[in-house]
Amino acid sequence: MPGTQTSPQDEQEKLLEEAVQAVKVQSFQMKRCLDKSKLMDALKHASNMLGELRTSMLSPKSYYELYMAISDELHYLEIFLTDEFAKGRKVTDLYELVQYAGNIIPRLYLLITVGVVYVRSFPQSRKEILKDLVEMCRGVQHPLRGLFLRNYLLQCTRNILPDDGEQLEEEMTGDISDSVDFVLLNFAEMNKLWVRMQHQGHSRDREKRERERQELRILVGTNLVRLSQLEGVNMDKYKEVVLSGILEQVVNCRDPLSQEYLMECIIQVFPDEFHLQTLNLFLRSCADLHQNVNVKNIIIALIDRLALFAHREDGPGIPADLKLFDIFSQQVATVIQSRQDMPAEDVVSLHVSLINLAMKCYPDRVDYVDKVLESTVEIFNKLNLEHVAANSAVSKELMRLLKIPVDSYNNILTILQLKHFHTLFQYFDYKSRKSMSCYMLSNTLDYGTEIVGQDQVETILNLVSTLIQNQPDQPAEDTDPEDFAEEQSLVGRFIHLLHSDDLDQQYLILNTARKHFGAGGNQRIRHTLPPLVFAAYQLAFRYKENSTMDEMWEKKCQKIFSFAHQTITALIKAELAELPLRLFLQGALAAGDIGFENHETMAYEFMSQAFSLYEDEISDSKAQLAAITLIIGTFERTRCFGEENHGPLRTQCALAASKLLKKPDQCRAVSTCAHLFWSGCSTDYNGEEMHDGKRVMECLKKALKIANQCMDPSLQVQLFVETLNRYIYFYQKGNEAVTVQVLNQLIQKIQEDLPNLEASDEMEQINRHFHNTLEHLRLQQEMAAADGPGYEGLAL
Amino acid sequence: MSFFSFGQSAEIDVVLNDAETRKKVEHKTEDGKKDKYFLFYDGETVSGKVNVTLKSPGKRFEHQGIKVEFIGQIELYYDRGNHHEFVSLVKDLARPGELTQSQTFDFEFTHVEKPYESYTGQNVKLRYFLRTTISRRMNDISKETDIVVHTLSTYPELNSSIKMEVGIEDCLHIEFEYNKSKYHIKDVIVGKIYFLLVRIKIKHMEIGIIKRETTGTGPNVYHENDTIAKYEIMDGAPVRGESIPIRLFLAGYEMTPTMRDINKKFSVRYYLNLVLIDDEERRYFKQQEITLWRKGDVVRKSMSHQASIASQRFEGLPSGEKPSAQAQEDSN
Repeated sequence: MPGTQTSPQDEQEKLLEEAVQAVKVQSFQMKRCLDKSKLMDALKHASNMLGELRTSMLSPKSYYELYMAISDELHYLEIFLTDEFAKGRKVTDLYELVQYAGNIIPRLYLLITVGVVYVRSFPQSRKEILKDLVEMCRGVQHPLRGLFLRNYLLQCTRNILPDDGEQLEEEMTGDISDSVDFVLLNFAEMNKLWVRMQHQGHSRDREKRERERQELRILVGTNLVRLSQLEGVNMDKYKEVVLSGILEQVVNCRDPLSQEYLMECIIQVFPDEFHLQTLNLFLRSCADLHQNVNVKNIIIALIDRLALFAHREDGPGIPADLKLFDIFSQQVATVIQSRQDMPAEDVVSLHVSLINLAMKCYPDRVDYVDKVLESTVEIFNKLNLEHVAANSAVSKELMRLLKIPVDSYNNILTILQLKHFHTLFQYFDYKSRKSMSCYMLSNTLDYGTEIVGQDQVETILNLVSTLIQNQPDQPAEDTDPEDFAEEQSLVGRFIHLLHSDDLDQQYLILNTARKHFGAGGNQRIRHTLPPLVFAAYQLAFRYKENSTMDEMWEKKCQKIFSFAHQTITALIKAELAELPLRLFLQGALAAGDIGFENHETMAYEFMSQAFSLYEDEISDSKAQLAAITLIIGTFERTRCFGEENHGPLRTQCALAASKLLKKPDQCRAVSTCAHLFWSGCSTDYNGEEMHDGKRVMECLKKALKIANQCMDPSLQVQLFVETLNRYIYFYQKGNEAVTVQVLNQLIQKIQEDLPNLEASDEMEQINRHFHNTLEHLRLQQEMAAADGPGYEGLAL
Repeated sequence: MSFFSFGQSAEIDVVLNDAETRKKVEHKTEDGKKDKYFLFYDGETVSGKVNVTLKSPGKRFEHQGIKVEFIGQIELYYDRGNHHEFVSLVKDLARPGELTQSQTFDFEFTHVEKPYESYTGQNVKLRYFLRTTISRRMNDISKETDIVVHTLSTYPELNSSIKMEVGIEDCLHIEFEYNKSKYHIKDVIVGKIYFLLVRIKIKHMEIGIIKRETTGTGPNVYHENDTIAKYEIMDGAPVRGESIPIRLFLAGYEMTPTMRDINKKFSVRYYLNLVLIDDEERRYFKQQEITLWRKGDVVRKSMSHQASIASQRFEGLPSGEKPSAQAQEDSN
């Protein structure tokens, strides 16, 4: 029935409150008796108060609170007695008297309290009393009560433990060895009690008990802290007595929870210098731990600490004679050997730590890193592991493992020195290989690592082959196009890092890359081949720069251009048109600029290839216009053609322009063509521009004529304005065929048509374009540059 | 007694010669109260003066003789009428005659044998006293003056430890050891208990001291058991391999030396009772007799000596297998 039953929590609170109340009453009486110098009565009340700690009803948490309340009161008693002794009021048999208490819990708490007073007052008794206290506590075998009793012992004695460097009083007995024995014994007993807790009570409460044990672990750990605080526990003492003592207890208790906590505790409380000297001992013990202990975490904690220590700037670093890496790699192997059922991911994460260690402590030792990778491979072999699935724990750990060298070296060439990197890499499934490949390429790009050798390129491209070519284990469904584009653009950017100072080597590099990329399939090559083509053009330029050193340069350039040609053709085969067209045009320009033997033929070939692409492959009218504009533009820039080639090409351009399907397109293309006759340039004119004003006019007039045929009035006006701009351009360039009258006519025509247009955004734009044009003319008129033509008669 | 007499009467007062210096000790009397008495040891001379004070000075006091007796006797409470005197010495102080004034008589019992310790028990009392008697025709005037006798022992020549393995098959096996079999009454019992097998859920363990007083003979034997001390020595359940220290100070308890077959009338024996109590309040115990003896007073100890006595432990190891450092959980 709700309301009548109290929850366990309320019950606890009630019990605790009652106990604390009783403690208050008894401690009040105790203090009153002390004030009246009734020592025996005071002890009686103290004993009554301590009787509260005999309870079995309280949870560890409540018991702790009760313990704290009582230990405060005992502290008062301790101070009082110490003062009394100091004043010379000695109660000789106090240590005996308190032992008459019939119940063991109050008796031992009192014994500890009085014992500490004795040691303070009669230093000659120290050794004996410390020994006695820690031994007598054996009488409490109840885990919870025993743990707290021994914790009280540890707390009370913290300032009286013999230690090196303490101020020696006369007749003081005991030395550091006694302290070590004392704490080690107390530790061992506490750990046993702690371990035993799990067997108490019902098995259904197991989880709760585990939780409670976790809460209490600090009590056990405090022993280790105390040991670490002893000055006399120096390196030798630690090595010979302390650590072996602790480890013996830890290993023998065969309790995973305890082992895991205590091993971590050792790592955390003792200084790194000690750990360095006792690695073998410590790590050997790791192999002896319970199979359920996550030994990986322990070793990792140690490695991480030492790695940090080695890295610390103010620290002494790792002693040169200490083969830190060898010790760890050997002991880790032993640990793995001793645990046949250790999950593969744990094995790998141990290796992650080993690599971290190698990286932090021996940054130059690539062989160490490789050794770790090698042993990972060996273990995989032993485990008959063939592939690790993405998202599996092993895969994640392996990813961490392989990323460390990537992130630490920040140099893919160093990675290539790791013989076993690739082998491990192959364990990944497709997805992980790809993501790792992207990671490595990004890193290479971030750090601008240049790849200087053909074999390096070969290796890298094999490594990141998921990005380069289709894989047998590739999933059937396509990747997200955006992701795909991103991956491929990484590859594309990577190509620019292929850079050898040796040009012939660079050529081989590009060939290798070409070989790999060529097999990438239609989807990939559109991303990968263009950069390669550009790289090839760049190489040709470098040959040219270097022409004085290499008499074969022209031949080599030809070879490069036919390489580029072939590469572009591969793109055409992939049913691409615009991209190869551009690359051809670029090639034509490059060939023309470099000017090697036969370059004109090469450039012509490239131009004509562009044309045939234009004619055969590009059918969309917008694309056509864009392509022809590009062709015209490119051609206008060329300086390498003789009239023999220039003429036909010119004509071809004009022809193509006028053959466009849509009138506006025709108009624009034709007017663009006008430039060919002005600034176009063939070798026959000694590099001079043609300045064929008549032909320019013809083009422009034809453009106007076509514009007139446009049915859409606003489009028509727009074309007029555009053509007007061309006129103005050529007028300013000094084409005498263009006169002010022509300009006036056109302006007038536009001014007439413009108001008839329907108001719209488009019309607004046209209007602005026109007025800006007029404004430009007005400014030109005002400035009337000395070398430019005059603007008399221009009607604005 | 003089109360009933007519005429002249006298009072008896006994004063020991060394009353100023002789030590007094507390001793329990039959009614349970404690009183202080002069303390004597075996063979010591008991000497003093008997003062006979006349109530009416100047008047004649007739008597049939004055004597003083030294008596040691055992009284069994169930047999009040019969006192068994094991010592009875008489000194005549005056022949029959008359006293005209108060008079003092010296007496001396030289090197008196006092073989037993004074004792007041549940069913029996052993006492020593001086009885002064003025014999008269009508009624004697008599006075008894009690003294207390302690029997001192020398250190026992043979004092081996008590060591024993006990157990319940497949349930509990322990080995315990007390450092001695004979303890003086201010001694400390130290020992340890070693757990060889634990399959019951022990809650705690205590050690008790039991005093057993036996009186009578043959079919009329009476046993009186009295738990003098109950002392918890372990809290909680140990596991195999644990050894638990015992240290019990005897000085704080009221105990006499062990008395065996005193004058064929009674015995007082002491036993150590080791008791294990399990979760269901079942008690498992084992009793071992120890011999208690009285030791002469020692000089006051120094602080550190005191501490070392108070912290002595029994360090012997069990005879069986060496305890493994790690205990195993045996309980189910």
